[in-house]
Amino acid sequence: MSLIIAIFFSITALAVPINEKKAPDFVGITADDEEIRLSGFRGKTVVLEWTNHQCPFVRKHYSSGNMQRTQRTLTEEGVVWISIVSSAPGEQGHVSAEEANRLTASRGGYASHVVLDPQGKIGRLYDAKTTPHMFVVDAAGVLRYQGAIDDKPSANRRSLENAKNYVLQAWSELKTGQPVSEAHTKAYGCTVKYGVSEISD
Amino acid sequence: MAISYALKTRTSLRIVVALYILLAFVSFGRVSSLELGRVEGSHSVATLHSEYTSIAAGEIVWLAFEIVPNEGWHSYWKNYGDSGAAPLFYWTLPDGVTAGEPLYPTPHRMPIGPLMNYGYEEPSTLLLPLAVAPDYSGRTIPVSVNVEWLVCEIECVPQDGSWSASISIGNIEFSESARQTFSTARIALPELPIWSSTIDVYPAQSRLKVFVSEAELGTISEAYFFAEGEGITEYAAEQQWAQTDEGLFVDMRRLEGGFEATSGRGVLALKLADGAVRAVEIDAALVLEKATVAGESSGSKPLVQASLPLWQAALFALLGGMVLNLMPCVFPVLSLKAFSFIAANSKTASGRKQEGWAYTLGIWLSFMIIVAALLAIKSGGAAIGWGFQLQEPAFVGALVLLMVLVALSLSGMFHITVGIEGAGQGLASKDGNKGAFFQGVLAALVATPCTAPLMAPAIGYALTQPAPIVFLIFSLLAFGLALPFLALSYSPTLARMMPRPGPWMEKLKEALAFPMYLTAAWLLYVFNLQAGATATLALLVAMIVAVFGVWLWQTFKGSVGRAIAVVLMAGAISAIVYQPLPAPGVAPQGGDATIQAYSEENLSALLNDEETVFAYFTAEWCITCKVNEQVALFTDDTQALFKARGIKLLKGDWTNRNSEIANLLADYGRVGVPLYLLFPKGQSEAIVLPEVLTPGIIADAVNSVT
Repeated sequence: MSLIIAIFFSITALAVPINEKKAPDFVGITADDEEIRLSGFRGKTVVLEWTNHQCPFVRKHYSSGNMQRTQRTLTEEGVVWISIVSSAPGEQGHVSAEEANRLTASRGGYASHVVLDPQGKIGRLYDAKTTPHMFVVDAAGVLRYQGAIDDKPSANRRSLENAKNYVLQAWSELKTGQPVSEAHTKAYGCTVKYGVSEISD
Repeated sequence: MAISYALKTRTSLRIVVALYILLAFVSFGRVSSLELGRVEGSHSVATLHSEYTSIAAGEIVWLAFEIVPNEGWHSYWKNYGDSGAAPLFYWTLPDGVTAGEPLYPTPHRMPIGPLMNYGYEEPSTLLLPLAVAPDYSGRTIPVSVNVEWLVCEIECVPQDGSWSASISIGNIEFSESARQTFSTARIALPELPIWSSTIDVYPAQSRLKVFVSEAELGTISEAYFFAEGEGITEYAAEQQWAQTDEGLFVDMRRLEGGFEATSGRGVLALKLADGAVRAVEIDAALVLEKATVAGESSGSKPLVQASLPLWQAALFALLGGMVLNLMPCVFPVLSLKAFSFIAANSKTASGRKQEGWAYTLGIWLSFMIIVAALLAIKSGGAAIGWGFQLQEPAFVGALVLLMVLVALSLSGMFHITVGIEGAGQGLASKDGNKGAFFQGVLAALVATPCTAPLMAPAIGYALTQPAPIVFLIFSLLAFGLALPFLALSYSPTLARMMPRPGPWMEKLKEALAFPMYLTAAWLLYVFNLQAGATATLALLVAMIVAVFGVWLWQTFKGSVGRAIAVVLMAGAISAIVYQPLPAPGVAPQGGDATIQAYSEENLSALLNDEETVFAYFTAEWCITCKVNEQVALFTDDTQALFKARGIKLLKGDWTNRNSEIANLLADYGRVGVPLYLLFPKGQSEAIVLPEVLTPGIIADAVNSVT
């Protein structure tokens, strides 16, 4: 009995991404129907962004251009940006590949890849809780940042004025070889809309 | 009386009308309500109230912010849990007036899929203090606030609104109409901290200790801690609580490698046995148990599931007992019982029920005898734990014999005709209640090799409890084991669902003999390690003699032949039980010269030499230990890692009784193996690894200290 419980706990404990540890590897199918693998980007810093285009907190960052600016700044410096949609079919934010590409085009996104994760497998692997929820994986595949996009847990665009962008901060520290000063923050925003049937996974 | 309103929102005409009505009151010079204005958002309505119409300098003005979410929607507590957002207040206040932290009513849990949110599905009122400096010189306090609050159903919609008002300075005057709002809001607040408390933070768990006696608090039926800060608990994980002599404990799961705990503040929500509900603010001192577990420092014992509520432990015991029915060493015996039911369809219903209870009683009594023996030995001061039966070679030897006899009867060697089935055991095959009783005893006995290793940790919990609880837990375990057949004996419907008797039963019985042989082989291996090769040979000979005795009994119906058979069997059994034992503590090692045997001396010598030490505690009869060693500890990778980091291995073998090991286990709050300890370089405080290992867990632990 307790053996079973112990196994259960150890499995769930393993599923959590930990800073300064190897980021969990995953394979994802992008909106361009490409198969990408996190470990395939070894040598480059990778940013993971959990997103749901209908979530007001995500909308704050896109309608203001803040997320696109962040994406552009980083990708121009050689960072791979992967946006991940873990909304289940029928849930808010779920998109088909065409819709995802249309969104990228209409919003002027600079994400290197948009991964569709309707079963929530990658989301659960990273214990992604909110949209937006950000992760930064360094060139060696080690997780260096996880948490919010910035320090203003608000859906209001005005909050962007004095916001400290944690991802930009992490990247500027990483590229100069410094440790990430704020490596773990509490993510804010809408719940990731996982499908109910997948919970038992 | 100068209250003026300036409401600017993106809202409907209705509000504007309401405002005009309010303004009309104001212009009459009498304020009947200090509702400073209502904002109807798309999915909620928010209202700001002031408690005073007029206030003196140096006082605190209390405002109330009331959120009424639409049906099915919810707003959030200051810590929203896994997702969401707390209300945000952007104040514009004159110099000399400062806004304090909002006071929140006691929140509720709102599970959403795999995540957990904290907040309110009903109207909630936040109390907002504005401190007015004693030297505030203005004649009014112009207050203007922009509020942003989030409401969610599954989707989230941010709401916002702005209010401005001005409160005059003068004598303190309460707003009569707001009185109700404020008194209701204050009732909904948690009580101020009244008990001292601490939170012990371990890597994967934290424990809130509230030092309040059951006499003072009353018996509670539910407790939940809403942590205000991160790093105390995983929000979606169940919390477990217990009322102990020390106080109320709440155990919470933590994310290993997650946030550092920085605050011990939060709200403890309680439901009392009499149905009353209480919520108390907690401001606990944090005790960071970074080095995990230390043997010597007090209060840092590992969290065995000591505060598992009794009903849960009881439930686990019952379920555990039922699961035992499926164990390889039990199932064959139980199949015999099933056959007897199939064959006994002609019996009366009451006869069947009696047999069912006789069977239950047999199991229960056997368990009670084992537990009583254990408690007696324990109270005598001997350091033993569950599985102790298997530390006794005589017991193991007797079990080998039992297994072989049962297996042989299943194989068809004995065809005892008196019984309704061929259990092979004279006693167990007797017809009627007596037979059923001994079948219960047999089931309990053959279950032992399976209960001991697999259930050691759970049973270990029970053994740390007072005697009545131990007996209760074991009674439920016994009841669980008996339950399938008890149910069968009571329900004719179930009994009818059993397949028809036929030749297939013989074949199935023969097949079921094989798991029994394997169990015997494993026990023989354990016996060999405990007692040595000579003793094993003696056991095998005794076994063959016993089987020969049974054969004689079968073959010769005369009294002389049977007398010889009985003498042979008795001789064989006593030979097994009374054979000379080797001195304890000479458990053979695995032949690997790099692994030293554990002793306190060896350990402290290595630690004095500034070595990093991995100590593992195991027993040959412990299946969990063996599995861990196979899949995690003795893999090439792990061994290479140990070698690369210069980690010394210590093996504590508990196959035989060993008080030094038992003491160490007790230091770590354990009553059984496995136990895995990693001592960082020269430190006497170890990191405790989980009971179920993976190579990753070992590697992570090793990486964290080297």
